[in-house]
Order: sequence, then structure tokens, then C-alpha cells
Amino acid sequence: MIKVLFFGAAADRAGTRETGLDIQDGATLAEIWPLLVEQYADLAPMRDTLAFAVNGEYARGEDAVSPGDEVAVLPPVSGG
Amino acid sequence: MFAIVEGLIDVGALIAGAQRPDCGAIATFVGTTRVDESEGASVEHLEYEAYRPMADSKLEEIGAEIEARWDVRHVSIVHRLGRVDPGEASVVIVAASPRRGPAFEASRYAIGRIKEVVPIWKREVWSDGYVWVGSQVGTRDTVTEKR
Repeated sequence: MIKVLFFGAAADRAGTRETGLDIQDGATLAEIWPLLVEQYADLAPMRDTLAFAVNGEYARGEDAVSPGDEVAVLPPVSGG
Repeated sequence: MFAIVEGLIDVGALIAGAQRPDCGAIATFVGTTRVDESEGASVEHLEYEAYRPMADSKLEEIGAEIEARWDVRHVSIVHRLGRVDPGEASVVIVAASPRRGPAFEASRYAIGRIKEVVPIWKREVWSDGYVWVGSQVGTRDTVTEKR
């Protein structure tokens, strides 16, 4: 089980700010994305704009995730 | 000092905290909320949210990048969260250096990096709904048409 956090517009699209997801140990972010879209179809159109973080650091699609990790779904940042 | 806060930022205190005998320049950048208008509606205020503690770490990383790049002896970055009313400061950057060049450059660099890497998001709350800036997702009619 991993914890998935949604922020900003992604939280709106998902309709939640946090969920748990069962994954296989070593699954990559790219492999996890379809599982998220299965539950939260409205996220799909945002795919190309999103970044991901694993345990508080930016991560890429090929990066692996382990049970217990925290994955954050990050829309384009707009601070300032 | 690197901080993410709710409530007003005390700009004067941040500047006072940057004063040092080995520095002859303090550059201060204050980002304030701007009110836009379109189609009879207007922005009433902004709402900021952050992914913490990642956002806090990223502010500190920007400070470290600045110290590696310029002879800047003091950097403070404070960003607000929650509701920010028009004209209020949403972010304040203060950089002190022995001579003015690095302080100017570092403050400009800091606001640029904040807009690139710090996981903070704002939505404009309009009289007829809201819009997440940069995502064009929200509840205003003019936005939902684009979904």
C-alpha cells in the first residue's frame, strides 16, 4: 500500500486529497498512473501537465515505488 | 530564514534581519496579489496551498543554490498560504550582499526558482467561481468549458 496525495487542480479532478493504493513492490510511477486513472478518470486529461514526487522529492516515470512510500500528484506549480 | 506562513508577512522585520556590517546592499522582492478582471467578473482574493514539508525543503534548496552562486551573506524567503487579499504580499525575498549586484541577481533568481520548483499552488477566487492558476481547472463557466 502506498499513500497518494493530490494537490491543487489534481485534487479537484480526483475529488479527494488523499488515497491509498495497493501496488506491487518495485512498480514504477508510469505503471501506477493507469491505476490512478482507473479510480479517478477525470485526472486523465491532466497527465502531460503533472509532475510527481516520491517521499517529498521530484521523481520520474521510470522511478520505482515501494509499499509505504508517499506519492504526490503535482499540477504545474503556481507560487509567488 | 525560510518559512511558509499563514497571515501577514512582516516585511520590515525581514529586512531588519538581513542587516549586517559586512553587507552594503539588501535587495527585497515583494510579490503581491494582483486583481484581474474579465467579462464583468473580478478576482476577490487568492488562495494558496502547499505540499509540505517538500515546499519548505525546496525553499531551503533555493537558498543553498544562491549561496553557492553569489556572494550573498543572508537570504530570507517567506511565502504565504491560505487566503491572501488583493495587494497583500504573498511572497517576500530578502538578500544581502557586500555589493549590490549579487543581492539584485539573487532576489530575481529566487522568485524565478519559486515559480519553477516549489510545490505551492494558487487559485484565483472570482466573484463567480475559482480557477487554479496554471491548470485552467476550476468552477468558473469560462474555465469549465475548456475541460
